[in-house]
Amino acid sequence: MVSAVQLLDVVLNGLTIGMVYVLVAAGLSVVFGVMGVLNLAHGELLALGAYFAFSLVTGFGAGGFWLALIAVPVLVGLLGALTERGLINRVYGRGQLAQILLTFGLLLIIFDLKRFVWGKSPKFFSPPSLLDQTVTLFGFSYSGYSYFIIAAGAVLSVSIWALLRYTRFGLVVRAGSEDREMVRNLGVDIDRYYTLVFGFGAALAAFGGVVLGGYQNVSLEMGNAVIIPAFVIVVLGGLGSFRGAVAGGLLVGIVQSAVTTFVPQVQGVVVFLLMIGVLLVRPEGLFGGTSERVDAGRSEPSEFVGGLGGGVLSDRWRSRVGIGVVGVLTLVPVFDGILYSDFVVSLLITVLIWALFAMSLDVVLGYTGLISLGHALFYGLGAYAALLTLLHVSPSAFAALGIAVAVSALTAWIVGHLAIRVSGVYFVMITLAFAEIVHRAVFKIDATGGSSGLFGAPEPLYGFGTSGIRFSEVLVGVEPLAFTGDSLFYYFLLAVVVGSYLFLRRIMSAPFGSVLRSVRESELRSRFIGYEVRSVKRQAFVISSTLAGLSGALFALYNGFVSPDLMNWINSGNAIIMVVLGGSGTLYGPMLGATVFTLIERQLSSVIPWWRLLLGALFVLVVLFLPTGLVSLPKRLRDVRTRETGARVGTSEDASEVEADD
Amino acid sequence: MTDGAGERNPTDEALLRTRGLTKRFGEFTAVDGVDLAIDRNEFRSIIGPNGAGKTTLFNLISGAMRPTEGSIHLAGTDITDFTPAERVGANLARSFQLTTVFNGLSVRENVRLAAQSARFDEMSAVKRLFSDPENLEGINRRTDTVVDQLGLSDVAEIQASDLSYGERRRLEVGLVLATDPEVVLLDEPTAGMGSDETAATMDLIEDVLAEKTVVLVEHNVDLVMRVSDRITTLNGGQVVATGTPEEVASDDRVQEAYLGGYTV
Repeated sequence: MVSAVQLLDVVLNGLTIGMVYVLVAAGLSVVFGVMGVLNLAHGELLALGAYFAFSLVTGFGAGGFWLALIAVPVLVGLLGALTERGLINRVYGRGQLAQILLTFGLLLIIFDLKRFVWGKSPKFFSPPSLLDQTVTLFGFSYSGYSYFIIAAGAVLSVSIWALLRYTRFGLVVRAGSEDREMVRNLGVDIDRYYTLVFGFGAALAAFGGVVLGGYQNVSLEMGNAVIIPAFVIVVLGGLGSFRGAVAGGLLVGIVQSAVTTFVPQVQGVVVFLLMIGVLLVRPEGLFGGTSERVDAGRSEPSEFVGGLGGGVLSDRWRSRVGIGVVGVLTLVPVFDGILYSDFVVSLLITVLIWALFAMSLDVVLGYTGLISLGHALFYGLGAYAALLTLLHVSPSAFAALGIAVAVSALTAWIVGHLAIRVSGVYFVMITLAFAEIVHRAVFKIDATGGSSGLFGAPEPLYGFGTSGIRFSEVLVGVEPLAFTGDSLFYYFLLAVVVGSYLFLRRIMSAPFGSVLRSVRESELRSRFIGYEVRSVKRQAFVISSTLAGLSGALFALYNGFVSPDLMNWINSGNAIIMVVLGGSGTLYGPMLGATVFTLIERQLSSVIPWWRLLLGALFVLVVLFLPTGLVSLPKRLRDVRTRETGARVGTSEDASEVEADD
Repeated sequence: MTDGAGERNPTDEALLRTRGLTKRFGEFTAVDGVDLAIDRNEFRSIIGPNGAGKTTLFNLISGAMRPTEGSIHLAGTDITDFTPAERVGANLARSFQLTTVFNGLSVRENVRLAAQSARFDEMSAVKRLFSDPENLEGINRRTDTVVDQLGLSDVAEIQASDLSYGERRRLEVGLVLATDPEVVLLDEPTAGMGSDETAATMDLIEDVLAEKTVVLVEHNVDLVMRVSDRITTLNGGQVVATGTPEEVASDDRVQEAYLGGYTV
């Protein structure tokens, strides 16, 4: 039986963390409502606030805490406003993808800046002793600091409410959430308000960070830990609704607290189920108006498509380059141990696995215009399914791959069925929610090895039943051209990746692929010339996710272990980076993107510890200046040259270079 | 001339028929019990002052919205619950007032997509996923014919976003035409055009849609008077009158509701 004291404890714990959520979600929600920007870096702003507070408290003691409460929100708010002025305002009107990509790049940058300045290990600071004591009210003892957080959050919420209600700033914010264009047409310089709103949101998050820092610890992961619940909250409350952020924040805080206490087995899963339920039944949220739904659900055509109206390389050049690259890749194991260490082969194996993963995402992202932030789910599922097969069912690699593909396809069919019903930002959210549910579930379930994952699988047997070969036990070829172990796996993988590319390229140039492109360009029109858009999108989702599962399974075959981290949403974000970095809508672009990404991650990380910052910066640059990705670089340069040489160079040459391809 | 309460005596040959079509938004009734009977090959225009319910009626017939009450029949089939795509399959297609073509694709690709949709449903999964579009001769022939009819052959390989406004409007009509519909719903096809472009577009419509049944929503009364077989006047969501251009022009109720003393 639950005692009243225990219940009170649960509620107060929930309110404490809930108040922090309110602060984070309010900023996220208001920024989205007014500017239409879904700020993935919002959690990092909170973490930044916590780190600044840590420095102030370390430097000035208790006084530093009081100072931090005032100064840190102002500082982070200013940083936010500057970021809006300098970067984010460049992507207005460029579609949701641009904003999501840019803020993801910012997330990487801020994350690494924190590590650069404050180091990896968690930091601790205590609130002033005035707050840091147990308060006993009516015989019930509870942390005074929690009371402080709840009170401060409540006062702040009421102040924000009054600000939104009774000031001109609030009026513009509320009107902007309803209809941005109308506000602009009324002659309000809404762009100036954008800066204010973004700074305001950043300041709220930073305040949340200061108080949360004194409550828990200050770690690199804390931004990540709040942004996901904050997404849940804004969806529950309705994107753009302040009331919704407050109600949703407290609700999620209390639900989390109750679940942790009473049913820890399903901790972390319940709120996502709640979110999916709300998305499917009432996508505008419990408090959102319908106008927000229309706005958030609208998908704008993407400019991030390298294949737009023809490839960036002509057919002829693309196949030449393709054959050349495959040729070089085929030769790599030949000189293994002669010109370079066997590290090169294992590095390329990683590159190829990521290339397949990124290419699979391109089917939905680049060709169909669907932004999925849950792609890592299928990568992880494929990996787990393959390893579980090896451990418990059959040593056959083909069985492992087959089961992984089947599991991914089936899951994709179910997830797709539900997720495709919503669009725009809501699709981003619901795919993220599904991925997080499974991600958290594998932490909890014994069969999946919990947080440590699974390992110790036998070396896969390439064959059926119990007959077949193990790559480490055979030597294929004649010396000096004889291959074994990793080299054999490398050839196998290369064949799978090239095969998958040809398979997808065929599909994308077939009638089905053309319908996907029409959906990307205008879902509405596609429907009204006779296509059942939902069903086509779902099929694309299944194809994409199945190949993602295949790439995950290959990872498991090669490495012999899996861990829940494979399903971390950051991996989904990384896949989006790879696709856009290389050039979406081209299939080969994402593979190039995966190559660059992996080289930076694997190679640069040993030389430059702040590689993530570099990657984030590179990514921001690509989003701003080269939205069609690295593969379009030659064409861009040629365009610039053509412009410089002026009219002497006919445009016909240019036209021939962009002749239609897939 | 018939009065507003009901369309002229329904005949069996009516191709498109609505009965008691009603759409309410909360307290507001945008379309109120509209009965239409449109014959095969008829050119029917729907006019009315702003807020008369023209666009809502259009959205109901095309499937963009579901009616609160009433039914829509096309060639005897009840299409009230059909999705937009199913309506296209039943040979009913619409255009958009704000040009909605596939901007990132070439003109030919735009038309090909529309020409392909009818056959797409019939294709096997293998054919959908793996066939080479160059080998789909029926679709390609249809695409070429339509591009030709639109007078867009010279710009067929150009990306739709690079077309002139008039060309884009023509492509808009072309997307409707390429689905090979029996009934074409046109939503202000000359909106935002100058007089020359308007004339050219109407010539195109009369030319390429000569064999079709057309339902046109249009503000330009002169144009409606010139091209329509019959005109339905809406006001307050209800049919005020239906008749030939001459009848409508001389009808007091129409004058009152819409023309405001305008005489032809």
